[in-house]
Amino acid sequence: MPLFHVHQLIKISTICVGLLGSVLLSAPSFAQTSASNINNRSLAATCANCHGTNAVTVPNSGMPGIGQLDSAEMLRKLMAYKSGAQQGTIMPQLAKGYTDEQLTTIASVLGKK
Amino acid sequence: MDRRHFLGQSLASAGLLAGCASTTPINISKAQVVVVGGGYGGATAAKYIRMFSNNTAQVTLIEPNTDFISCPMSNLVIGGSRTMAEITSPYDNLAKRHGVKLIKDMVESVDQKQKTVKLASGTTIKYDKLVLSPGVHLMMDQIKGLTEANQAGVTLQAWKAGPETVALHKQLAAMRDGGVYAISIPEAPFRCPPGPYERACQVASYFKKNKPKSKVLIFDANADIVSKAGLFRKAWATLYPGMIEYNPKHNVVAVDAKTKTIKFEVQDDVKADVLNLLPLMRAGDIAVKSGIANSNGRWVQVNYLNFAATAAKDIHVLGDSIQIAPLMPKSGHMANSHAKVAAAAIVAELGDLEVNSAPVLTNTCYSFVDATQVVHVASVHQYNAAEKTFKTVPGSGGLSPEPTVLEGIYAWGWAKNIWADSLA
Repeated sequence: MPLFHVHQLIKISTICVGLLGSVLLSAPSFAQTSASNINNRSLAATCANCHGTNAVTVPNSGMPGIGQLDSAEMLRKLMAYKSGAQQGTIMPQLAKGYTDEQLTTIASVLGKK
Repeated sequence: MDRRHFLGQSLASAGLLAGCASTTPINISKAQVVVVGGGYGGATAAKYIRMFSNNTAQVTLIEPNTDFISCPMSNLVIGGSRTMAEITSPYDNLAKRHGVKLIKDMVESVDQKQKTVKLASGTTIKYDKLVLSPGVHLMMDQIKGLTEANQAGVTLQAWKAGPETVALHKQLAAMRDGGVYAISIPEAPFRCPPGPYERACQVASYFKKNKPKSKVLIFDANADIVSKAGLFRKAWATLYPGMIEYNPKHNVVAVDAKTKTIKFEVQDDVKADVLNLLPLMRAGDIAVKSGIANSNGRWVQVNYLNFAATAAKDIHVLGDSIQIAPLMPKSGHMANSHAKVAAAAIVAELGDLEVNSAPVLTNTCYSFVDATQVVHVASVHQYNAAEKTFKTVPGSGGLSPEPTVLEGIYAWGWAKNIWADSLA
């Protein structure tokens, strides 16, 4: 009996994926990716726990959103947290754990395009 | 040591199962990735393997629960300031938005030779890559009488958020004013290092408002508070003067369900009205049953570059089940971080790309000292190639200077965003 539900669920999910087809089709294929692309996205994903997947912060969650920042603004903020010029609760402590190069990569992946 | 265990260890020590060894490349769109366990590690891995493979790798998530119930924040339900609904999220967005196949079932066994998992329902599923994120198993038999006391409903652990979370709150609600709540803490490492001390705060917060003559007794097998020691000590003294009693080096060895008595290795017996005894913990059952828990038989050693178990091929292990690197907590945030590093490595391996040689992990952990005020601990862990482990970056990370309501708002912001990052 539970299996029946599972199959139903999978079928429903397949249909939903089908409906999302246009989104998925417009996404790059695997051949278009590279090790550095995956590594950079993986590094930027260390921000997602608090600020949302791909910088899409949950609305009204109480967490400051970062999706409105372009890459230059984001990098300026991150470097200010790292240097201590910008006060905060957790961000000054976290920013100090990344190299300047890593912060640059993060800002370039997550900054508003 | 059984034969499989022995073989696994010998192969690992001979370096024959180096996790990074590239396998024969297969077409990634035909690759079957099976993820076992839909907690912070497994759910995140399922989603990010789909994302990093640009939705090409086939990912199946096997999880017995209908919904995700968060352990972080569950202490607030025990303290009565929040409800289960507020810490529960659905799994179906992983299917709808990311094309993850969801199977509501348990994995009974892993056949490493055939590369299959067998489910409780009897179904067998083939994998090219297996991700195990089975959390912790509470070693109930390490405290004499604990299993019976738990089955009788006398002592609850509530260390996996769910029915026991609600039941523990009900026990507190039913307790007389002037009663005693006792929590015992096992020797580290255990899931959520600050969790027991936060729970003491939440129970005290409930007592302060509803049953002010009551007491909270903490019996810690460790020599001192394991996490945020100064902050908790100060919060107990200022917010709950005379209510919380902290007893280090108290190792619980037995419990008598009938008389609600706790017995210690050294000290005299103690009676309490509500008993919340946490035994030693180890990796989730499927990891131990599969013979890959090669660190004292309790935790799984992994290659930190890709989270592959050192004792098996194409099995990656995440979250609380692994043998931790120095200063790496067993936390939901950390499991989510493991999952992203593992997801990137698994996609790279399946796609015949080079695995990242410099991954980064972060941890952020908020603890509520009452219903609204919060303290945090945060850390950044960079991979150290020379030592083949993650190390925290000197000068980074740290604690809150004091509890604040602002961090309480951020704590809920963290929860809502990590739930979405893992599940939506």
